Amino acid sequence: MGKKINKQADADLVRDLKQGDPAAMEEIVKRYSNKVYNLAYHLTRDAHAAEEIMQDVFLTVIAKIGTLTTEAYFSTWLYRVTTNAAYGYLRKEKKFSEQTPVEDIDQEQYLDYDWSTLPDDVLLSEESKEVLRESIDSLPEAMRTVVVLKDVEGLKNEEIAETLGISVPAVKSRLHRGRLILRQLLSEYFSKYTEPSGEEK
Amino acid sequence: MNCKLCSALFQEFLEDSLSEELIVEVQDHIRTCSKCRVSLRTYTLTVTLSRKVDPPCCVSPETLDRLKKIIRERLLKTNGVPV
Ligand SMILES: [Zn+2]
Repeated sequence: MGKKINKQADADLVRDLKQGDPAAMEEIVKRYSNKVYNLAYHLTRDAHAAEEIMQDVFLTVIAKIGTLTTEAYFSTWLYRVTTNAAYGYLRKEKKFSEQTPVEDIDQEQYLDYDWSTLPDDVLLSEESKEVLRESIDSLPEAMRTVVVLKDVEGLKNEEIAETLGISVPAVKSRLHRGRLILRQLLSEYFSKYTEPSGEEK
Repeated sequence: MNCKLCSALFQEFLEDSLSEELIVEVQDHIRTCSKCRVSLRTYTLTVTLSRKVDPPCCVSPETLDRLKKIIRERLLKTNGVPV
């Protein structure tokens, strides 16, 4: 229910913005600046680039809001604008594809290791969060975007498909492969809590 | 059900989008196969932990002020609305 009210409010804002209402734009910035920034940061891994992208995105909103025909889809549209801006940056900076080659990851290695039984203070430690953040960053772009949108930002598969202009099955397959890689990297990291370290013993 | 199919269904299992029959099949398999049991647990936890990754957060107040200023100027230019 709460979601519906929110959506309604977004649609109202968009309608007001189409009339050139500065208060509506201010509210949109208030509501979405961190989301846009975070997504841009996740995709570019660069705080400065994320700020620039955010600025571009909101200027694009002003310039292109007239082309958004279904006002309720504003947030999805905004994610798409952000993703495209981030991709544009990556392409320009030639920062595409310097990540872990997927083939290099041995999916079988830790399958028997049940790290889910580790205590919360290990699972949720700052260090493990950092490992996960870096692991997400190391995913190939196509997977990273989907994993960030779905598992970090909490979008629905359909919204992600719409945002990226790909099919829902494609979203699912990238997501699944991305999660398997993350799981593998986490397994490697958490293995230090059960296996004797180094050459000793 | 074999292990390969079982693990291919984890995603749908978590999204609750499997048919009744398949859910039962997955659960039956997991009960008897420790490899898939562990695999589902760690897969699920990977997803749970990803949700807890802190956003890089946040836009600095200075950046936000600059953005607002640029936006005001742009709005003024595009539709002549005084702010
Ligand atoms: Zn199995």
